[in-house]
Amino acid sequence: MHLVPSLLQQMCVYLVLAYMLSKTPIFLPLLNISSQRSHKFSCYVLFSLFCILGTYFGLNINDAIANTRAIGAVIGGLLGGPVVGFAVGLTGGIHRYTLGGFTDVACAISTTMEGLIGGLLHLYLVRKDKSYLLFNPLIVLAITFVAEVSQMLIILAVAKPFDRAYTLVSEIAAPMIIANCVGAALFVSILQDKKTIFERYSAVFSRRALTIAERSVGIWSTGFDGSSAEKVARIIYEETNVGAVAITDTENTLAFIGIGEDHHKPNTPISSKYTRQAMEQNRIIYLGARESPYHCSISDNCKLGTVLVIPLRAGKKVVGTIKLYEPKRKLLSNINRSMGEGIGQLLSSQILYGDFQQQQTLLTQAEIKLLHAQVNPHFLFNALNTISAVIRRDPNKARELIQHLSHFFRSNLKQNIETVAFKDELAHVNAYLTIEKARFTDRLTVEIDIHEALQERLLPSFTLQPLVENAIKHGISTMLEGGRVRIYSERNGVGYNIVVEDNAGQFVPALGDKQGLGMEIVAKRLVHFFGDKAALQTECEAGKSTRMRFLVPDQVSS
Amino acid sequence: MLTAIVIDDEFLAREELTELLQESAKVNVVAQANNAIEGLKLINTLKPDAVFLDIQMPQLSGIELIGMLDPETMPCVVFVTAFDQYAVRAFEDNALDYLLKPVDPKRLDKTLQRLLKVKHNQEAPHTQAQIDALTPKILQQVPCLGHNRIMIIPLQEIEMVYSDLSGVHVQTAHQTASSQLTLKTLEEKTDLLRCHRQYLINTKSIKEIQLLDNGLAEVVTLSGKLVPVSRRYLKTLKHMLGII
Repeated sequence: MHLVPSLLQQMCVYLVLAYMLSKTPIFLPLLNISSQRSHKFSCYVLFSLFCILGTYFGLNINDAIANTRAIGAVIGGLLGGPVVGFAVGLTGGIHRYTLGGFTDVACAISTTMEGLIGGLLHLYLVRKDKSYLLFNPLIVLAITFVAEVSQMLIILAVAKPFDRAYTLVSEIAAPMIIANCVGAALFVSILQDKKTIFERYSAVFSRRALTIAERSVGIWSTGFDGSSAEKVARIIYEETNVGAVAITDTENTLAFIGIGEDHHKPNTPISSKYTRQAMEQNRIIYLGARESPYHCSISDNCKLGTVLVIPLRAGKKVVGTIKLYEPKRKLLSNINRSMGEGIGQLLSSQILYGDFQQQQTLLTQAEIKLLHAQVNPHFLFNALNTISAVIRRDPNKARELIQHLSHFFRSNLKQNIETVAFKDELAHVNAYLTIEKARFTDRLTVEIDIHEALQERLLPSFTLQPLVENAIKHGISTMLEGGRVRIYSERNGVGYNIVVEDNAGQFVPALGDKQGLGMEIVAKRLVHFFGDKAALQTECEAGKSTRMRFLVPDQVSS
Repeated sequence: MLTAIVIDDEFLAREELTELLQESAKVNVVAQANNAIEGLKLINTLKPDAVFLDIQMPQLSGIELIGMLDPETMPCVVFVTAFDQYAVRAFEDNALDYLLKPVDPKRLDKTLQRLLKVKHNQEAPHTQAQIDALTPKILQQVPCLGHNRIMIIPLQEIEMVYSDLSGVHVQTAHQTASSQLTLKTLEEKTDLLRCHRQYLINTKSIKEIQLLDNGLAEVVTLSGKLVPVSRRYLKTLKHMLGII
């Protein structure tokens, strides 16, 4: 039992070495369960060295060596897989064999065996998708225990003569099992610490994501196209330090920036089936692991070795992808899945917002067109009927009415005019009312009193006349007689209230019918132009009056 | 020669159509009305061969008006409209004649030829099916003429309706007004209940029923008015109220 402290001492030296190595980049490949061949190879070299080191640090006992070789073999297998484990074990075993002694063969076999045990556990956990357990010290402790026990059994079985083997095993079994198990567990916990530190990098990634968000605001408002995609790709390329960034729509590569620009050209059809797959299944695809290596679909000489394909959505619809690449040689990847998800979501919501902005602009244009088209046919034919009757009795008056009707239509047909001066809108209203007065004869009187100061002010087109038309159509025309429409301005603290008042008092809050739509558009255009305070207000005293008013503020807040 | 009434709320539209009709020399325009309620009165008193009827008018539309006419004295109705897609579709679906404003004299002449033929053959101007398809089955309000004014009285305000030598009268809690609608039309198109040859009662405004001798009864309305119930209708009234 005196061996226990000595072996633990050895183990400590061994772990100090491991700790120091963990501070160097040599260790980094170990932290990701990677399938790249170069990583496997470095894993093999590193743990073979640890294996051999374990042997050299061993204590000579009765022509045998009590040692901590198992740590290297088991962890080598655990992190590198069965092949690496076997190779590490074999290397360590052959080295031990060359040192001779009556247990040389037994030790060579058992070390190989230990590497293999580690490798098999690796295989099992990876298949079960529980590779995170590989870094669990307790699991490592348990598997090292199994490996050490089998080593003892192999020594008993293989080493001759049995009596000597038995004596040796009874002496070294307990110390070696304790030292190796504890050592392996501590070794792995060093690795795990390193991994935790590494994962803190993602905090840095988040900060980058915020910078990306800030820089890319508003770029999509011109739509999801080549020029906006290139700007965004460049921002992401600069901020993430990845090898290359590509943005595609559903058909073509819109932008490509970084390594491989020479053969990944923008405005070419998507060639990678994984990109299509990511869009079809609406999920992120990562290529670069052993199960799904990335091969450039365009050039065999492409230096890119890893890619993260992230679908971009506008609402629920997939509109394209963003792809982040890293070159083959690069050990520490800037690509991180959650970072990818973040960028994907960020860009998706920006695209959606850009879409929304674009549609809003279109909508305003469509609304104006709608209002142009919304010359009430009932008004038109009644006007013609009135004129037809007037021709008979007063041709001059008829000619005058036709002039007013022409004026009305001309100002209605002025395309794409967003704003109009008050005096022009009043002329338009006047043309309209002259026709309606002729039609309703003594059933309609009109009073207009708009303050002089407002005459040159601008207001959104198609706002005042629709209010007047509304008052006639839903107010005056329901009255048997005595209809009166007043259009006037009232001074208040912040500007002028414009009021359109009828004395019918028939206003019923609209329930989404055509009339409601017309008034809704008027209300929206007023708020859009004059600000929230200008919102259209309606007051109705049933059977007495309906007043619709809006504010023309002295100062227009944008 | 046809007799006709022109009903339109616009003065110039009325004048124009009247002049076109007079020029045709086939029609004698015997009256004009500037709203449907006046029009209803004129139709009932003058009983013209034809009515030229605007659709959109204040208070009561042209379509509502024909639903209030007595089918037995129904004149030939020709709708006149500037633009009313829904109504025009309904007319076409039901083979009813209509004219578009401004009225084309040639088109008007076709209508007049047809009207003359109907009058000559003494055909019924419209089938009941045509009228039913166009007009609402149940009236929600009753147009009335008061002293120098026109009122539209909602059905639920009416306590009873009665007829006497001067016409049909609608009684609410506070006022009495004359209606151009016959008791028969009101009985058919509203849920007012007949309780006497000359009386309809709104069952919702019955406060109590006083049973008298000889199987007669008297209803007291919520506002305290008395309505006679004849022997013939008492049973129906009791039945309606759930009293056996």
